[in-house]
Amino acid sequence: MKTIKEINQKIKNGDALVLTAAEMTEYVKENGVETAAEEVDVVTTGTFGAMCSSGAFLNFGHSDPPIKMNRTFLNNVEAYSGLAAVDAYIGATQLNRNPQIGMDYGGAHLIEDLIKGKEIELVVEAYGTDCYPRKEIETIIDIDKLNHATMVNPRNCYQNYAVATNSTDETLYTYMGTLLPNYGNISYSSAGQLSPLLNDPYFETIGLGTRIFLCGGEGYVLGEGTQHATEGERVNDVPVSPSGTLMLMGDMKKMNSDFVRGATMQKYGPTLYIGAGIPIPILNQVIAKRTAISDEEITCRVFDYGIGRRNRPVLKETNYKELKTGKIEIDGMEIKTSPLSSYKKAVEVAEELKKWISSGKFFLTEPVNLIPSKGYTFNPLEIKKPSILIKNIESKPVIIAYPTEEISDVARKLVENNINHLPVVNNEGKLMGIVTSWDIANAIAKGKARLKDVMTKKVIIAREDEPVDVIARRIDKYEISGLPIVDKENKVKGMITAEDISRLIGETAENDNEVSL
Amino acid sequence: MRVWFKFSPDIVNKAIISDAMRKFNISFNILRADITPKGGKMLIEIDGEHVNESVEYIESRGIHVDPVKKVLKRDDEKCVDCGACVSLCPVKAICIEEDWSVGIDNDLCIGCGFCTGSCPMKAITIIE
Ligand code: SF4
Ligand code: SF4
Repeated sequence: MKTIKEINQKIKNGDALVLTAAEMTEYVKENGVETAAEEVDVVTTGTFGAMCSSGAFLNFGHSDPPIKMNRTFLNNVEAYSGLAAVDAYIGATQLNRNPQIGMDYGGAHLIEDLIKGKEIELVVEAYGTDCYPRKEIETIIDIDKLNHATMVNPRNCYQNYAVATNSTDETLYTYMGTLLPNYGNISYSSAGQLSPLLNDPYFETIGLGTRIFLCGGEGYVLGEGTQHATEGERVNDVPVSPSGTLMLMGDMKKMNSDFVRGATMQKYGPTLYIGAGIPIPILNQVIAKRTAISDEEITCRVFDYGIGRRNRPVLKETNYKELKTGKIEIDGMEIKTSPLSSYKKAVEVAEELKKWISSGKFFLTEPVNLIPSKGYTFNPLEIKKPSILIKNIESKPVIIAYPTEEISDVARKLVENNINHLPVVNNEGKLMGIVTSWDIANAIAKGKARLKDVMTKKVIIAREDEPVDVIARRIDKYEISGLPIVDKENKVKGMITAEDISRLIGETAENDNEVSL
Repeated sequence: MRVWFKFSPDIVNKAIISDAMRKFNISFNILRADITPKGGKMLIEIDGEHVNESVEYIESRGIHVDPVKKVLKRDDEKCVDCGACVSLCPVKAICIEEDWSVGIDNDLCIGCGFCTGSCPMKAITIIE
């Protein structure tokens, strides 16, 4: 048994033994937990990954005449300024207001540029008051001109995370990166055995006031992060799905852009890559044992992100050792894996923190309040009006065609019914393809006679049990005007068109207005 | 030689490629094909003695031919060695090395561009 005070004394004397979490795993394997608990004083953890729930409070100081900032833009990225007169919060995922730039330069990129000391364009609008008469500002600032630039991240350092793949035949662009169709790849995001909260799974040492490494500078844990959850299933003491989180803060003026980067997830949006490292004092054998956890002992679950719903099915349980080999097997398929977070940078974070402590520059703190390890669940948002499923909407009686039909007959069907798409089905009513008026016109021009030669076999469909919003997104994404509705057996049940959708969504919006008035 | 064929829809039905194969005794290997009602492009590996003549012939019949001599350039300042690009590469030109840094093998790269768009740091560019 050691105390934090004793460990700090050793750090001061320059004889504390500090290991990274990866080194600790090896040390315990060789020397056993008992020796490790006695000899090792601090284990440093590290992670470097996309943490969307991040941002910073900025204080600009008063202009003359002064202004009460109402809307604030930094390099065209809006910072929330509904706090006092000259404070604003810039969130990492905020998009650029210039639609041509949009996702390519957002809040996260702005934060990186501030930390790099770059000049930033500041544009402010205000309504003017007796005490703050000024109505607009256009100027250039940099981080040195700000009174405060304090990073406060509501949710960082997720304790474990979901692993993503995609069963559908379309490429998905998600916060887990690009997911190729038909289980084309797998994306994961955790530093595994180096990850802070996997090394202290019951929060026995981490709490409000814990001093940490944050983006190259010193930071602090403010408490549990948003969405903090403690009740999930555990294997080897660590949760198998996203669980604990931390709220962190740090002075941006002391950060280093080597350890914090603005990024863009393709067709998803901006996010901030954050390097965070937490020192764990080895107070006893239990803590020593927990920090010895290896990639192999950390279980995680693979989910199908092809399902755009809150509850996605688990495809497989795996672990970080397997994932790091670059491929895993699911149902006989070998799937390539790749990390979204940088393990190399995570190692650098843990090494850097180790260096700080070993050289007597960084001391441990006694947390005021430990992070709660019980009683927290992450509850869903229930929407009063449940989302409408495709099967709940009234679709017109479906008009279909068979693959053996003559083109001229099909053309007549389209014209007589005043429609543009016709699903093609087999004798059991199962979907085989789709034809549009364009296909038919093309076929006639080329002198093709049989429908099966001109129909599109790769059809974008709507399933009966999918919510209308998911289909609306699909119509937008593929820029199509309509798609067939199929049941579980792939039998065609109807057609839904962009018009149907906009009518439905239009109605909902009107109703919502009534409620809010 | 590796080339991109780009063509408009009215060409789809003409037997240009098979004519070229017969005329110049060359072999074709289609590495990728993206064909839509608006036209299409194919990545082709052409081999044989008369490759250059065959390319001229194909161009004369209305297919636009773009030789592939693309080089991938990674900005090491921007790259954080996350590895997000690794599983996207169809030809295994990107891999994670022993020390966890991410390496790209330009000889294997076919310039498909999957990795460029998906890199969160926009660290990769393809230069001709
Ligand atoms: S995705 Fe980009 S940042 Fe990540 S390893 Fe590849 S090149 Fe580097
Ligand atoms: S451009 Fe394509 S082939 Fe080349 S490295 Fe990137 S993903 Fe691989």
